[in-house]
Amino acid sequence: MAVKAMYDYTWPSRSAAELYGDDQLVHVWWRGNPYFVSAQTFRFPKAMPFGALVNDVLKGFFTADPDFVPESLDTAAWKVDHEDLVPDLEASLEANGVGHKSLLEFSL
Amino acid sequence: MTVPAQKPARKLSMKQRYTALTHDLDWTPTYVKEEEVFPFTTFEGIKVHDWSKWDDPFRLTVEAYNKYQAEKDRRLYAVLDGFAQSQGQLGLTEARYMNAMKIFLQGIPVHEYNAHRNFSYLARYANGPGARFAALCQSLDELRHAQTEIHTLSHYNKYFDGMHDWHKWTDRVWYLSVPKSFFEDAQTAGPFEWLIAIGFSFEYLLTNLLFVPFMSGAAFNGDLPTMTFGFSAQSDESRHMTLGLEAIKFMLEQDEDNLPIVQDWLDKWFWRGYRLISLVAGMMDYMLPKRVMSWKEAFELYFEEQMLNGLFKDLEYYGIRPPRHVDWAIGEKEILSHQVYWILYQYSHAAAFTTTIPNAEDQEWLEKAYPETWPIYKQVVWDKAQRVMDAGGRYFNPGLPQLCTVCQIPMGFTEPGDPLTQCQRQTVYEGERYDFCSDGCQWIFEREPTKYRQSWLPVHQIFQGNCGGPTLPDVAAWYGLQPGDGAEYLGSPDHQAWLEWHGQTTKEA
Amino acid sequence: MSVAAESRPVGVDIQENEENRALVEAIEADNDDLTIRHMPGMIRLTKNGQLVINQASVEARLGRPWETHEFQLAIITYFGEFVEWDDDQIIIAWKH
Repeated sequence: MAVKAMYDYTWPSRSAAELYGDDQLVHVWWRGNPYFVSAQTFRFPKAMPFGALVNDVLKGFFTADPDFVPESLDTAAWKVDHEDLVPDLEASLEANGVGHKSLLEFSL
Repeated sequence: MTVPAQKPARKLSMKQRYTALTHDLDWTPTYVKEEEVFPFTTFEGIKVHDWSKWDDPFRLTVEAYNKYQAEKDRRLYAVLDGFAQSQGQLGLTEARYMNAMKIFLQGIPVHEYNAHRNFSYLARYANGPGARFAALCQSLDELRHAQTEIHTLSHYNKYFDGMHDWHKWTDRVWYLSVPKSFFEDAQTAGPFEWLIAIGFSFEYLLTNLLFVPFMSGAAFNGDLPTMTFGFSAQSDESRHMTLGLEAIKFMLEQDEDNLPIVQDWLDKWFWRGYRLISLVAGMMDYMLPKRVMSWKEAFELYFEEQMLNGLFKDLEYYGIRPPRHVDWAIGEKEILSHQVYWILYQYSHAAAFTTTIPNAEDQEWLEKAYPETWPIYKQVVWDKAQRVMDAGGRYFNPGLPQLCTVCQIPMGFTEPGDPLTQCQRQTVYEGERYDFCSDGCQWIFEREPTKYRQSWLPVHQIFQGNCGGPTLPDVAAWYGLQPGDGAEYLGSPDHQAWLEWHGQTTKEA
Repeated sequence: MSVAAESRPVGVDIQENEENRALVEAIEADNDDLTIRHMPGMIRLTKNGQLVINQASVEARLGRPWETHEFQLAIITYFGEFVEWDDDQIIIAWKH
């Protein structure tokens, strides 16, 4: 539905992909663990290898939960935008299908 | 009319005075067209055939308005003076009580002022004199509320952190984008939608939940000034509720084509307002050291009983049904405050209020108020937070939360019937993904995607480099936060000062 | 299913203080089957059908003239509709 207005109402998104250059926003969600009250939003290079995301960022980040075992991420089940994902750790986020404002979900 | 003999006879009855001072002062323009004088009341599609049918049941005139508002202010300022002179802040239940007032000061007065602006605009641009005069009174009320709230709480600013830069925070700090986006959404709509948004959905349906249990809570926690301004403001609110009810009934009675438009707005603004006041749920159940009632009980009393079983049965006559997604709201009453406070707890290092783990007494109350759901959250989150605390740490979320595009609250709300799995909704619009916390917010986006894709989402703005820099200290500096404004309550400057005032030390406590 | 207006509750919350004692007593006297609930700082009065406030009853208890406009100083909130607000009487009820 169009916005009812007295003029032609079109305004751009305040979070469009082009505002982030070679990077993009990604929401990382640890499903079933409300200790992190919501999914976390990060800004990552599109070209970042999936393995670097897991090993260099997430394994450290989630240690804020005292029960988190970093190695458990090695066997996590992943989904991107609600679809199952078997990540290629060498390939980039983009090549793994992780786009701007994608929801990257894992379960342990 | 009959006039008792002992009283001086009035020249006019109340009804006549009201008519004389509103309708009788109106005129029909002759040398300009009506749509030139009132250009903003047609584009929304609401059809009005007879503006003279809009009446104010309060039958207020300027004379009566001034007389009673002046008396309200006299009473309020007498209380403020007495409280300040007697060092009333020492008699609060606890310093942590102030956190609820900090959020109130940061989030509310500036929007009272915005409401003042928009009702001024209605006082000029509504076609009918009844609507214009009621809007004028409300416009003055809202200005008075902004001033009395700021004035009342300014006393506490002398003694507590977290109150010094509310006017700056309101435009910048992440959780304050929630009320800001709500009011700006309403202000950028047309005049009829504004009336359904603020006049009806917010004032009539929902503000009781903000003011009544909360101000009664202030009374219970030794906060006399807040109780007084709250009840004083709320007495005006009765008139605002009346304006809101008059507005919706007027639209529905004027033309049956208005029904679907009004229902749609009602569906939207119920959910917008409900999500906004979820902050109140967290404040009521977790931030008041002494509670009058739980969020759940207040919701049942002031929303389910009064509105669903009272008001909506009345509106059924016009073909109005209860708001869309109301069942979702009812389903959340057992868990809402737990989830909101858990959000506030883990991000309070980037906020202008402090939080702390509910103490033994709080937990006992929570257990009693929420026997089904409190034990779940205690086990899953609070026991863990306590373990971190016992080990000498304090759990703050090290990152930034995913935000809902519409309500802008971190997406910590859960799927219906599943208190541990956060709700994730996504919509792709013109090739871009947008995130929502609930079916309600997603539905609102999909009605008007070109409006909500402009959301100024604090997390996204930080990542775009628009908020002072990439690190937490950069952002906190840009927010204007000072040490002591946020983070953990225990050991905070407010807590230490409180103990000193009462002859204790942190060590003893 | 619609529940008739006469059997649905309406109500009003009033600040509980000395000023308003006469008002509350007048409401109690003029409205049968009133439900009263005390909360800190306030008193909540509810009743099925309609709730009436009579100027004469308030004045008799207050011992001074009382305009119905003065009710605005006492009220915190209400539910129902002001179907009448005149010199001598205020009535809260549902219309439908």
